[in-house]
Amino acid sequence: MASVKLTNVKKIYDKKVVAVHDFNLEIKDKEFVVFVGPSGCGKSTTLRMIAGLEDISEGTIEIDGEVVNDLQPKDRNIAMVFQNYALYPHMTVYDNIAFSLRLQKLPEDVIYNKVTNAAEILGITDYLMRKPRALSGGQRQRVAIGRAMVRDSKVFLMDEPLSNLDAKLRNQMRAEIILLRQKLDTTFVYVTHDQTEAMTLGDRIVIMKDGYIMQVGTPTQVFEMPENLFVAEFIGAPKMNIMRTNLRRNMNGNYCVTPFGSEIEVTGFKNEELKALNARDGEIILGVRPEHITLTENGGPNTIPVTLEVNEMMGSELHLHVYTEDGTRIIVRVPTVDLDPEKRCSLVSGKKLNITFTGKVMHFFDPKTERNILVKED
Amino acid sequence: MNKKKSYSPALVSILIGVVLCGLVFGLLFLVRNTLKANDTGIVQMAQTIGRKIVDPYPINPDHIGAVLLSLLGAIMLVVGAALIISGIAKLFEAIAENERNMMSYVPGALMLLCGAVIAYGFAKALLLGVTRFSTEGMYVHLFIDAGILLIIAALLIGMGCSRLVRAQKYNRSVKIYGMPPADVNRSMGLKASNLISGIGIHTLLVIMSVVWLIPFVCIILQSFRVETAMPVGYVLPKTWGFGNYTGLLKTDFPKWYLNTFIMALVVAVLQTIIVLCMSYVLSRFRFKMRKPLMSFMLILGMFPGMLTMIILYRVLKDLGLTQANAVPGLILVYIASSGMGYYVSKGFFDTIPKSLDEAACMDGATKAQVLFRIILPLAKPIVIYTILTAFMAPWGDFVFARYISMNTSAGMNVAVGLNSWLSLDQINSHYTMFCAGGVVVAIPVTILFLCLQRYYVEGVTGGAVKG
Repeated sequence: MASVKLTNVKKIYDKKVVAVHDFNLEIKDKEFVVFVGPSGCGKSTTLRMIAGLEDISEGTIEIDGEVVNDLQPKDRNIAMVFQNYALYPHMTVYDNIAFSLRLQKLPEDVIYNKVTNAAEILGITDYLMRKPRALSGGQRQRVAIGRAMVRDSKVFLMDEPLSNLDAKLRNQMRAEIILLRQKLDTTFVYVTHDQTEAMTLGDRIVIMKDGYIMQVGTPTQVFEMPENLFVAEFIGAPKMNIMRTNLRRNMNGNYCVTPFGSEIEVTGFKNEELKALNARDGEIILGVRPEHITLTENGGPNTIPVTLEVNEMMGSELHLHVYTEDGTRIIVRVPTVDLDPEKRCSLVSGKKLNITFTGKVMHFFDPKTERNILVKED
Repeated sequence: MNKKKSYSPALVSILIGVVLCGLVFGLLFLVRNTLKANDTGIVQMAQTIGRKIVDPYPINPDHIGAVLLSLLGAIMLVVGAALIISGIAKLFEAIAENERNMMSYVPGALMLLCGAVIAYGFAKALLLGVTRFSTEGMYVHLFIDAGILLIIAALLIGMGCSRLVRAQKYNRSVKIYGMPPADVNRSMGLKASNLISGIGIHTLLVIMSVVWLIPFVCIILQSFRVETAMPVGYVLPKTWGFGNYTGLLKTDFPKWYLNTFIMALVVAVLQTIIVLCMSYVLSRFRFKMRKPLMSFMLILGMFPGMLTMIILYRVLKDLGLTQANAVPGLILVYIASSGMGYYVSKGFFDTIPKSLDEAACMDGATKAQVLFRIILPLAKPIVIYTILTAFMAPWGDFVFARYISMNTSAGMNVAVGLNSWLSLDQINSHYTMFCAGGVVVAIPVTILFLCLQRYYVEGVTGGAVKG
């Protein structure tokens, strides 16, 4: 039930290593914000600064309009779920959840109600009298969430809460976090390195790299309009295919790109936007997502001849790793239903294929600044 | 490679062992008969020879020569033991690396052999010196020698047997399959060497524990002796009784006991609190000069505490905390520098994940609450270890207690008080009572250790193992 505002926040370790540069973000009340990025990008540090576990070297953090830079973690009214759960090993699950309430000196019957209530929501009522070591990873995670839940805090921080779970459990807990969020209806800040988690959970995603914010936006925005090459490659799995090529106008006055000797015309709104920008001809970095590339039967001027290297069968789709004549690797994602069984069987290593993509789905990046040329600088 | 293994080394080894056995028994038989015939003849001969060799000087031959001999014997015994230990270590190293080359066993075996010879020779010198060439001493020597020879013979026979079995298995395998057995060879060898080293280690342990127990048994037996209060030359009491224990109550002993108990208790409580708080701060907080402070205390701790004795006495005397008021004075001395003993518990605290602290912090705990409600329950072994060591130090202290109490009975602890009974004018009337006092002093500590031993061991090794 609170907003969080970070203004020019900086974190410098030992007076030399800068972990977070000039972090500006306003998290609205009841918003679910996800910090995502590769390891060492400063996302956990930022979260810990909000929590008060790390000092803020420069800038200010406000919670509900109040500057909390110098407040102790316990005075910030924030709950946090840790990656390794951080359950108190010597206490039962009940005592673990009740710990914060006991520190607040609440009467035992109030504590009892709150703890059993939380346990019911999380489905851990049966384990309340167990010690954490007698629980599985998923159950421990629930206890950790329960411990944060009972405090009715203003902001809910989660530091990679699912990364210690196995893949199946992770998917299940992800869905449960979405449900939990609907029940709790409070402000969430969630840190992860997994872009799937970020896309599915977040109202807004903050993508970070080396201590800088690369882009802030809704999942749709960062997926469809990545501001730079890093975001384009980071969001989406398998990652976006990157090709160095040229952009120029063809005889019709439309823009076209020429990857690997082919010529593919830019169509739709991308073409319009390029025209509006009056983009110059020249070298460009072209990005195309694997799901937007299609296999074609016949060659032609708008196709690229490739050789199949690896065929990954994912069930509902195939990931085809192919390489072009000059050795550039490209991943193509083909829905299984699009291929008849015979064709599917013929897709073995070494097979020659032709790929193409349409003009609507291309992303253009400046080869020097690696910025998306269609996104206006602000 | 597939040649048959010869049985001869095994057989030779067994043969030597058997012959050795026979020789020893024959010799013993011979000696027994000789002694029967002429009880002192052979002994006297040995004595004169011994004196001529080691003690040619005419000045008080019985005394100085014996003392010198036993001193030399003791020193060389230590050297021999060191050689033996390093020899064994070298051998084990070679065994652990599974060396095929026999040469790599040679240095270890040589060291072991040299050590054994030196240790044996000088152990005899020590014994000769201690027993001063007496008749009983000669008997002791005879039996020790016979025992050692018998052990060697047994080892030789055992080794021979195991080699025999191994060679036999090897040859059968070669005969039937045309190749040596896959790992019978090695495992048999390992089994045999395990057996031998097991026997050796356990024999050593039994001897050591007997040696360690003898003084305790003696003290307990003496404390029940009521026929005389003097120190006597025998161990088993002729008359048994509780007189010494009841007699303790009529002396200053209860006062000393109370003094010691109060000191130990207060020190245990205060020192534990100080040490644990210190360790927590050094483990969890980051502040300027933390590292220098830690190394400073480490270096300071290397100076012996005795260095401070004289100045401490002056200070305490000026404060009026010596002699009859020694108890508060000693408490001050014991707890004054206790914060420096932080290493073990800090090491243990370091193994408790910091995210637990952070979680508790987020849950609204203050630093003190984190310590008392999260860290300490998790560090139970270390807490108990700290309490135990803090309790033990004043309980058994002698030097400081003696110095500060300065012959004033009211300020003594048990160690000092009991020691006063061993003075020349009191020993003949108080010796058995001294033993009884010793037993009473040992009781609470023994009970404490029996109950908390598990935690104590965990605590000593706790720095390395996660709690």
